[in-house]
Amino acid sequence: MNRYLYDGTPEGLVSAIAAILEAEPDPQRVTLTGRQDTLFEEGLFVRTDPTAVDALFSRLRKQAPDAVYTLWYFMMAETEGLESSLLHYIALALEHGDRINGHLTHSDVKAVVSAARKAGREAHRMKGLLRFEQLRDGTWLARMEPDHNVIQPLAKHFSRRLRGQQWFIYDVRRRSAAHWDGRALQFGTLEQFSRPELSDEEKEVQVMWRAFFRSIAIPERKNPHLQKSNMPAKYWKYLTEKQGE
Amino acid sequence: MDIQEKLGILSGAARYDASCASSGCGREAPLRGTGNTSQAGICHSWSDDGRCISLLKILLSNDCRYDCAYCVNRSSNPMPRASFTAREVVDLTMEFYRRNYIEGLFLSSAVMKGPDQTMEEMVRVAEMLRVEEKFGGYIHLKVIPGSSPELVRRAGLAADRISVNIELPSSESLHRLAPQKRKESILEPMKLIGSEIGTSLVERRSSRNAPRFAPAGQSTQMIIGASPETDLQILRLSQGLYRRMNLKRVYYSAFVPVNEDNRLPVIASPPLLREHRLYQADWLLRFYGFSAEEILSDDAPDLDESFDPKTAWALRHPEFYPVEINRADYNTLLRVPGIGVTSAKRIIAARRFSVITPEGMKKIGVVMKRAKYFITCSGRPFDKPDREPARLRQRLLLGEPAPEPRQLVLFQ
Repeated sequence: MNRYLYDGTPEGLVSAIAAILEAEPDPQRVTLTGRQDTLFEEGLFVRTDPTAVDALFSRLRKQAPDAVYTLWYFMMAETEGLESSLLHYIALALEHGDRINGHLTHSDVKAVVSAARKAGREAHRMKGLLRFEQLRDGTWLARMEPDHNVIQPLAKHFSRRLRGQQWFIYDVRRRSAAHWDGRALQFGTLEQFSRPELSDEEKEVQVMWRAFFRSIAIPERKNPHLQKSNMPAKYWKYLTEKQGE
Repeated sequence: MDIQEKLGILSGAARYDASCASSGCGREAPLRGTGNTSQAGICHSWSDDGRCISLLKILLSNDCRYDCAYCVNRSSNPMPRASFTAREVVDLTMEFYRRNYIEGLFLSSAVMKGPDQTMEEMVRVAEMLRVEEKFGGYIHLKVIPGSSPELVRRAGLAADRISVNIELPSSESLHRLAPQKRKESILEPMKLIGSEIGTSLVERRSSRNAPRFAPAGQSTQMIIGASPETDLQILRLSQGLYRRMNLKRVYYSAFVPVNEDNRLPVIASPPLLREHRLYQADWLLRFYGFSAEEILSDDAPDLDESFDPKTAWALRHPEFYPVEINRADYNTLLRVPGIGVTSAKRIIAARRFSVITPEGMKKIGVVMKRAKYFITCSGRPFDKPDREPARLRQRLLLGEPAPEPRQLVLFQ
């Protein structure tokens, strides 16, 4: 069984997978792990090669377009220790095409698809739970701390939905930000962040939203357990309706 | 009265409407406009009763001239009354939408001067949103029974979904509890909406620019437990609405006693379990290929409180089981308690690669708690194949019996 190492970056991972698929006749017997920089690590280190990454993506897009989505969401999940599973999954996807996502009795397929599904679920959830606040200068800011790195699909979603507004989405945990200026999306990181002042109108609308949130619940059907299971408390920190309760 | 006070009154008055869906229609934002809709629908929050919030659900007015026994807004109730202007509703919707609080607007109303005057105001809100604000988000309009066909048509052209509440499961109950509403004034707009949706779909096949009429379809709602109908009567009604009127959804709303009225039953709390069982049975009608007559019969016209309706069917039909996971077709898999649409599809996808073992079922993500009593994998049953009806009922209710403590036998 051959062992390979990569530099620990997402791009390095895909690059290493591309190289292994090229070099190894039976990728299912190969393991791949991130390099830890200890002295006695065993394995062949694969350097990141952007052209190999592009080539693998275009091959996948042709042979298994659904697997590209799975791969995309898998990367958002930021899992650890599943590199070999991903390698085996991609090898199988190239062999079987899109129907590979149904091969859930295979542990590697199952591991990759479940991780991707979790990230996808959170990306969908955040489309509803993200809250934009209007700042003094008229721009809009939404803060969040999701478990998975979902800023890309979220920003894309809002660039279609709130396209007349200028807004920022800020991932507090990863210090990453997306900016929409009314025409184009930009992604970047922010080293320092302090929440700017809200506009006066913003404070009024927030009061109204909280009033609506309170009165829309049927008192005779109060069910905090169901509320929490649908909307876990970890998301409440940035929810306008859950402030000042 | 300031807008916040109105909002408190008119959202509080709208909370008994069960509908919350924002799905069933995908649309891009209009040019220089705000808002799109998502095919899958998006929930934005969950209120203290655990129900999802996806739309700004409000009444245009709670100032009602009707006096329906079950309704919190009936004219004989002494309570604060309020009405929004169309502009106020439009502004609230836009302000909430820009902050991503909501998918759009759900607008209903008490009957103010009359059905047409009320409906006209409601349609105006939707048209202002679409035309003046270039709003591309979701709009659900309630149709006031007795509105003229022209207003119903305008509503369907502006909204994604429109609905007429059927209110109660039979016309006798409607007559008794809502004497000012007639059955025809509810069914006629329903039929009109159904045929307009059909026409629009046909026209759009030949021209992509043909107008869309209520693209997310038509729904309705009825109150459960305020009148004496059986569950079988209710499910037959829903089945008819799905089959003949082409409705997307029927909502069931457990009767909450908000008024004292000798025409109403006296109950301690809303019949939430019954509502839950009806929703489960409704799912069986829409996605699982069951008919109302399979789920219930004249001998047993009410849903079992202890078991979900599919498990109840399975217990009455031991001859149908066990189902062989590796061979059964999709519709047969769907008859297994604990196997839903997702699991059935996953089983079929996984079978194409290899035979499914009991461990495989767990990997696929099938919850085996109930399913294990009703299936085999490659001819082998799960665990103990005890399908004796009385014991099976017991196990499904209480779970596996704890193993009896046994003395170790050291010498034989």
